[in-house]
Amino acid sequence: MENAEGEKERDNTRRYNINDNHDLLAEILARLDGPSLAAAASVCRLWRAVSRRDTVWEALCNRHVAADFPGTRAVVAALGGYRRLYCRCVGPISNRLAVSGEHATTAAAVAARLSLSLSLFSIDYYERLGDGGWQRPSSLLFLRSPVDVS
Amino acid sequence: MVDSSYGQESSANKSISTSPEIDGLLAGVGYAIRPSDLPHVAERLEKLDSAIIAAAAAGLPPEFLCSDAVHYNPSDLAAWVDSMSMLTSLSSPPIHPAPAPWPVQIYAPAPLSTPTVDLLAPEDAGINLVHLLMSCADSIHRDDHPSASKLIHEMQILLPRVGTAFGIGKVAAYFIDALDRRLRPRPSPPAEDEILYHYFYESSPYLRFAHLTANQAILESFNGLDRVHVIDLNLKHGLQWPALIQALALRPGGPPFIRLTGFGPPEICEVGRRLADFARSVKVPFAFTRLDEIQPNLLRVEPGETVAVNSVLQLHQFLSDPGSPGPIDSVLSWVKALRPRIVTVVEQEADHNRPGFLDRFTEALFYYSTVFDSLESAAAGAGPEVYLQKEICNIVCCDGEERVERHEPLASWRARFGRAGLWPVPHGSSAFRQASMLLTLSSGEGYSIEEVEGCLTLSWHGRAVISASAWHCGDGVDAPPLAGNIFFNGYSGSDRRE
Repeated sequence: MENAEGEKERDNTRRYNINDNHDLLAEILARLDGPSLAAAASVCRLWRAVSRRDTVWEALCNRHVAADFPGTRAVVAALGGYRRLYCRCVGPISNRLAVSGEHATTAAAVAARLSLSLSLFSIDYYERLGDGGWQRPSSLLFLRSPVDVS
Repeated sequence: MVDSSYGQESSANKSISTSPEIDGLLAGVGYAIRPSDLPHVAERLEKLDSAIIAAAAAGLPPEFLCSDAVHYNPSDLAAWVDSMSMLTSLSSPPIHPAPAPWPVQIYAPAPLSTPTVDLLAPEDAGINLVHLLMSCADSIHRDDHPSASKLIHEMQILLPRVGTAFGIGKVAAYFIDALDRRLRPRPSPPAEDEILYHYFYESSPYLRFAHLTANQAILESFNGLDRVHVIDLNLKHGLQWPALIQALALRPGGPPFIRLTGFGPPEICEVGRRLADFARSVKVPFAFTRLDEIQPNLLRVEPGETVAVNSVLQLHQFLSDPGSPGPIDSVLSWVKALRPRIVTVVEQEADHNRPGFLDRFTEALFYYSTVFDSLESAAAGAGPEVYLQKEICNIVCCDGEERVERHEPLASWRARFGRAGLWPVPHGSSAFRQASMLLTLSSGEGYSIEEVEGCLTLSWHGRAVISASAWHCGDGVDAPPLAGNIFFNGYSGSDRRE
């Protein structure tokens, strides 16, 4: 084997570690889809922290619903953040619509999807504003698929 | 068709000979049919129903089935249904591969997949149960309380055989209970209204559909305005408004100043506080006022404010018996005097305000069985059903001022609004698109949305359940933009963002 060249290459790669550059890691993770991002969050504590950055989830949301216009970021942050928006609304909605064959091809369809996602998200936040008690936020449960526990 | 005309047949055709082989209960309402023919007739009726739905879906006018037919003896149900089946030579595939809606199922002897018919099956008991319900309602209609009590007792014996877990048994149980309460009034247990309301909200798309369509119409009408005032005739828990506040927050050009006036009991001040917190989070200037129902004149509209009036499942409570004047006229003139830019109204699409008890009972039985059927598909549990039980009891048990659930169909409301000087504003395509998306997300394969002259109607398996409409004043006040393609997120129809 070409041990000399191989070792030189390994020396080169050992000098650079992705974990040293968190922003670069975030940039890469921002290109993953939802399930992959969740898997990445299970790798180690650093990756878990980086993959929880809202910018990563913002990029993911924007790929689904084109939410990149002024003011959205402030409103979404106020209502709970892009990670929650994706996990509770955008992700389940996109999955459910894909299962039934609807793909957002036109700008109008994408806008409708965003509109609906944000409406449901705001109702979820409003429920969480309640004083707790019996009232746990449950308005988004209908987006979940039922689990058969029989 | 048998189902909706059940009530009207009761007074006619009393001269059907009650020979022993004719089914006595059906004879009482005008149809001569042998019990042995019942399964065959039921099967044919089901096929006829599918054929009519298929024809409607194919765009054929309903008259195509009847224009060539002459029915000499409509009370001979078996012969009639055979002649109709010959006329409908459509080989229509079933529209809904899912289980058939139960109002047809009660006449079907068995699901079409099983070849044998068991006349002692629970379906037979189900048919009997419906007969008994109709007869009991008829007895009450004729003020014959002793036979009504006897029939209730019979039904309570029959009920366990039918089973109350789903289908006809479940709905019948609630209606039998309501009939019993009418004959022997007793205090109902205190209901946790808030919890039941939330169960109903979460397990079915009806309220979400109502809120979404109303919000979209209000949003489009507020386009370009700086100070807006929304009046909610029944605030309840305020679940409609977070979405509107957020939509206005994301409006290009910034949010307007929103004032929300809610009618309701003192508890809704807490709701107003929460909505104010919400508005503060998304940086929307917001003010909330509570008003008591009986003091609408305390409502203040500041100069420069544009008004929207919103009523979700509330306006019917101002109706009274047909023909007699009720609060509705003064309510509508009060609304008109506010000169609102838009009035959004969502109402049950049902006819529960007829003066005759039997008519009302029949309509209610079929309406709520449709709704219960849709809830079953969502595996919703008993919560939303108990919520609806209050409405059922009110329709069946109460009269006069106590009866507040006076649902009327959209056509009646249209006429009423026309007389009051309110003209329809069609819902835009964005409302339709979002509502369709909402239905796709909701469990239950049978929902559909129709647009009828600009108003959106949510149906279950072709039967309309709830309808949403929008209205404006007409004189002097600018009509809101028609058929808006406006989304709160800044997208407008002409702006192609790919």
